[in-house]
Amino acid sequence: MDFSIFQQYGPALLKGFGNTILCWALGTVFGMALGLVIALIQRYAPKYIRWIVQAYIEVIRGTPFLVQLFVLYYGGPLIGLRLDALPAGLLGLTIYGSPYFAEIFRSGFRAVPHGQIEAARAIGMTELSIVRRILLPLGLVSSLPALINFSIILTKETVILSIITVPELMYQVNRMSTETFRFLEANLVLALFFWLLVETISRVGRRFEARITKHLIERT
Amino acid sequence: MFSFPVFLESFWPLIWAARYTLLISVLGIGLGLVIGALICAARLSPYAALRRFAAVWVSFLRGVPLLVQLLVFYYTLPVIGLDVPATVAAVVTVGICASAYISEIWRGAIAALPKGQSEAALAIGMTPRDVWTRVVLPQAVTLSLPALINELILLVKASSLVSVVGILEITRASQAQAATTFRPLEVYIAAACIYLAINLCLAALGRYLEHRTAV
Amino acid sequence: MQASSVEIRKVNKFYGPFHALKDVDLNILPGKVTCLIGPSGSGKSTLLRCINFLEEYDSGEIRIDGQMMGYDAPGRKMSGRKLREMRRSIGMVFQQFNLWPHMTARENVAEGLIRVRGMGKAEAHERASAALTKVGLADKMENHPLRLSGGQQQRVAIARAIAMEPRLMLFDEPTSALDPELVGEVLNVMKTLAAEGMTMVVVTHEMGFAAHVADQVAFMEKGELVGVDTPDRILHQPADPRIQSFLRTYHERNSF
Repeated sequence: MDFSIFQQYGPALLKGFGNTILCWALGTVFGMALGLVIALIQRYAPKYIRWIVQAYIEVIRGTPFLVQLFVLYYGGPLIGLRLDALPAGLLGLTIYGSPYFAEIFRSGFRAVPHGQIEAARAIGMTELSIVRRILLPLGLVSSLPALINFSIILTKETVILSIITVPELMYQVNRMSTETFRFLEANLVLALFFWLLVETISRVGRRFEARITKHLIERT
Repeated sequence: MFSFPVFLESFWPLIWAARYTLLISVLGIGLGLVIGALICAARLSPYAALRRFAAVWVSFLRGVPLLVQLLVFYYTLPVIGLDVPATVAAVVTVGICASAYISEIWRGAIAALPKGQSEAALAIGMTPRDVWTRVVLPQAVTLSLPALINELILLVKASSLVSVVGILEITRASQAQAATTFRPLEVYIAAACIYLAINLCLAALGRYLEHRTAV
Repeated sequence: MQASSVEIRKVNKFYGPFHALKDVDLNILPGKVTCLIGPSGSGKSTLLRCINFLEEYDSGEIRIDGQMMGYDAPGRKMSGRKLREMRRSIGMVFQQFNLWPHMTARENVAEGLIRVRGMGKAEAHERASAALTKVGLADKMENHPLRLSGGQQQRVAIARAIAMEPRLMLFDEPTSALDPELVGEVLNVMKTLAAEGMTMVVVTHEMGFAAHVADQVAFMEKGELVGVDTPDRILHQPADPRIQSFLRTYHERNSF
């Protein structure tokens, strides 16, 4: 085994890593935002709109991310949607994540005791105030572990973007290994790298979670 | 524009390719169940070294993207002198990856059982072995069924990634077809429809099992 | 303080085929305490929740100071704005406290003043402090609800309601979720409120409270209002066999 190639390809790999983090961060933020909108629609919108949204959720959750990317990136131009690989990948990641985030928010909202919402209604708060002041803060906190968990899953999904030529880390690693024929070393290092990344993010996530939920855990 | 005839025509070859998708997912989950049981047992064992090994196994496989695992495995085989068909390599990788998740599912199911139950069994004089085989495991297996179906759905979707090592399952077949017909939109949507159909059936099965086991 | 009166006329409520309230008639007098008692599932909580329209009644009328609650006319629901307007003057205290766990005690009380009454933050917090002092929690204002005992939480909930300066207070089994030794502190706060002339409707299993504080006691069973009278007549010399049997069970369970 020979790992010296990593030195030579350092800058390209670093750029790839930057794109991975970019895709992950933006994909998570946009996916969460879309998921939150979906969850609120499911809670408040009239029935037929909820059906449409539910169909969207089933379709996205029932199909592989890779196939979604193919439809978007290779199929898109046939209906006039021409995107470069990176924006297509970002859009794909956003769409892919949104139903999972929506489900997380939905069960977070369900975890808010109904009585706490009734108490707000009983003193005459508007539905909008109730959403902003009671439902969102409490629902978000109870969704937090699942949110962190799913954004970790999304870090791993970013490697699939390499298949539609988004120049992220795996794409750069693949290019490097086809040019140098060091397939095994390259992929091994990539594996170790992701292991480290995911472990770090989960650790940071747990600490963050403990800080946020400080007041919400009953004294024993 | 979207052409409906092209869309319909692309179905047959893809449905034929779906047998590989199903083969890999089903064998993968089978292998995952076996290894997952061992890993779960190791995690609950009294030996610290075994527990440690199992914890690392789970953390590594859950931390590394399946696509990367697949390539590592695929490129490692020739190095250690194993010449197996790509399909076998794919099933083994998918199975190993699934084992990490399945062992956690089982651990969760066992932890979800009220502690009082095994205490009650011990109190009437059952041996620890009987407690496991008569009280804990039967319930844990039933409890975990919906989650296992869910894992199978994940594998059906994840199996699309084995297309990169050249196995002609749904995704690879649709790529080939898109290349010859120049109609990627219709072909990939057809592929999506087949995945969706498989997964909706599995989800319905999962709901049925959940409904049946909810006493 | 101005106290409201409530007139309940032929109110019916259905949950699907289940007839939860059957032609209920009840007058709640201004400045008086009305206790609703009866076995569980008798509809007393449902009736209470109909008064501020957390539960929608299907027919009949509930009038607060002459104004119909929940409907503009029979069958036509009032607007959300009008409903909120009416709820502003009705305080409610729940069995499970329903405090908002992400806010401190003081923030819980101030929230309604800020969002509903449009008060500035400083003024709202000042009022909140006053309300919390009144229920004896001056030293717990900065605590989050889950750091308080059940009795303290329920007193915060009462403070949250009275800070809004209601003309009518509804209590839905306010002491049922409390450990026995914490019941007293909550009942004492309620007695103070009663002495100040607040109109109160209290669903309760505390017969002692009903006997000593209530001006009238209403007994409900199976969705029907069986009898309304002074506490003495209902609790000590009930004419109706249903009330007699309920009280017998109650005494058997509470004697040792």
